[in-house]
Amino acid sequence: MAEKLSLLAIFPDIDPAAQAVDELRGLGLEDGDINVISGIPVTEAMLGRPRQWSNVPRLALGGAVGGFLIGAFFAFGTPNLYPIYVGGQPLLPGAPSIVVLFELTMLGMLAATFLGVFLDSRFPSYSPKEYVPQISDGKIAIFFECPAEKEKKCSQRLLALGAESIQPAEAQKL
Amino acid sequence: MSATHAHETDHELEHLRREHLMLDPKPRGEMNRMIMEAMHTTSWRFRLTFAFLVLVVLVCLFGVWGYMIAEGLGVAGVTVPIYWGIFLVNTVFWIGISHAGTFVSALLRVFKAEYRRPFTRAAELMTTFGLVQAGLSIFFHMGRVWLSYWLFPYPNERQLWPNFHSPLSWDFLAINTYLMASTMYLFLPLIPDLAMARDRSTGWRKVFYRILSLGFRGTEGEWAHLRIAMNIFAFAILPVMFSVHTIVSWDFAAAMRPGWSSTIFGPYFVVGALQSGLSAVAMVLVVVRGTMKNMKYFIRPEVFDALGKLMLVISMAWAYFFFNDYMVQWYGGDKFTDALLHFHEEGPLGWMWFAMLILNVAVPWLTLWNKKVRRTPWAIFAIGLGVNVAMWFERYIIVPISLTINRMPFTWREHVPGVEIPLGIGTLAFFILLYMAASKLVPLVPVWEVQEGQLAHSVRKVGKEVVVSVADME
Repeated sequence: MAEKLSLLAIFPDIDPAAQAVDELRGLGLEDGDINVISGIPVTEAMLGRPRQWSNVPRLALGGAVGGFLIGAFFAFGTPNLYPIYVGGQPLLPGAPSIVVLFELTMLGMLAATFLGVFLDSRFPSYSPKEYVPQISDGKIAIFFECPAEKEKKCSQRLLALGAESIQPAEAQKL
Repeated sequence: MSATHAHETDHELEHLRREHLMLDPKPRGEMNRMIMEAMHTTSWRFRLTFAFLVLVVLVCLFGVWGYMIAEGLGVAGVTVPIYWGIFLVNTVFWIGISHAGTFVSALLRVFKAEYRRPFTRAAELMTTFGLVQAGLSIFFHMGRVWLSYWLFPYPNERQLWPNFHSPLSWDFLAINTYLMASTMYLFLPLIPDLAMARDRSTGWRKVFYRILSLGFRGTEGEWAHLRIAMNIFAFAILPVMFSVHTIVSWDFAAAMRPGWSSTIFGPYFVVGALQSGLSAVAMVLVVVRGTMKNMKYFIRPEVFDALGKLMLVISMAWAYFFFNDYMVQWYGGDKFTDALLHFHEEGPLGWMWFAMLILNVAVPWLTLWNKKVRRTPWAIFAIGLGVNVAMWFERYIIVPISLTINRMPFTWREHVPGVEIPLGIGTLAFFILLYMAASKLVPLVPVWEVQEGQLAHSVRKVGKEVVVSVADME
């Protein structure tokens, strides 16, 4: 099996980075071997990359369902656990229960959305990673893995497209 | 002729750059440096103010609160028939202030109002810190604060759960939902800026930012999850915001009392919250712009212009709801309601009622139509201060003044505040203190959002006119 090298190419802008992604694909690299790192949200469409899969919307929906069920327990379950009838008022009033259901459904959805970002992005993660601080200064980094025999060709093509530097990607403490 | 025309075009472009932050980009590294410098630069005035506020908080908030806990709720001015005093006035006031962050950040994000970009975080911080003060005010009002866990949703030793059909339980659920949601909504877009600060810090700050940035690098996946989550939050937090102040209004409206029993209190309270919240955002931005380094680049007169327009529209909406509420109660002809309305206007604190209308309606309407006024920071500050004073008066009129008149005339009694005054000053000082501390710890301007906006903006010519063009990059 061919040895694979991890490289980090730094670009000054989005346009050459998008071209570089195409170029790497042309050289036979898979989309899974390429990752673009940036200081602003560069969308997949801008880079011509496959759409990122995210579980956040599903988790949000799950959170909403969970919150609704907890709300239903509070609004309809707890009065039945210890029924107290006061002044002929209904044990399970409709309108006030909607307030409880609404608040807990929303809380469940928003909390699950928040946790979804943590789960999908694997936050928090303090282990060393491939990164350079110039990224948060506006540079676009392409982190890719290529077979050792293609390293020279990849580097030449990316430099020709305007890469400021191409270096072996070393995991470092953030 | 063409040289003249080219000169005019250059002049227009220069004017647009000066006017709009989105058309005046700087390299990202330069903007990062400016923000870090703003956080790190601390003047002697800042330190002195900070030390003074610490003293005020220790004495007026924790000291007086401790005194009230030791002596009992009797040292506050709440007694027959006014059981709800300034503590609840302050609760409603601070919840109102907290509406600004969500409104600015979520609603303007949903509508893609580009001028929001440099000040969303400044507004979001107000939401979280405002809710802290609202929560504290509720604890003051409880008196026996050590029993506050009675509101928590779990059964007592006799297996009896709290009554979730009570407006007090709704308050507990709504305020906590809003506090948690707004804190999460503050934190999510902060993560990339914390990573930026991590990359530029040393010592304890490096450790602080490293922990809080959670290992964020800016990979495609991280941005995608963040973008989706922020979109969900922007849409979902708006109904939560509306629900919070509506539920607060039901604490009053659901009671069969003169002046309170009103079907329009929900939207009236929400609009009142936006009225005070937006004005408070404008005030904070004036202070931030005037006192923090490099902020004049990020917060330009265009921001005050836009906020001034919003303040004017919201002031009109508030006047509409106020008149609607007043009209129906006046027309109803109930003798106690009639007595209360006369008491509002002609009682010993009638000046407060008139000041409320002048500062909330007359002043904004007479000034904010003028572009020059809207673009003058000190004028916006003064108008905003007036609106906030007026909105505090409004809540004072609704709570203790309205409780003075009830259906049992032999109990009528005017409200005399006790320790509520120093405790109110304490919460105000605590709010400012938290804000000042945050201004030195977190980037007040979301740099990545500003840069994203600058990438989306360009100018193009339509006929002979140079116009601003915005691309939808989502």
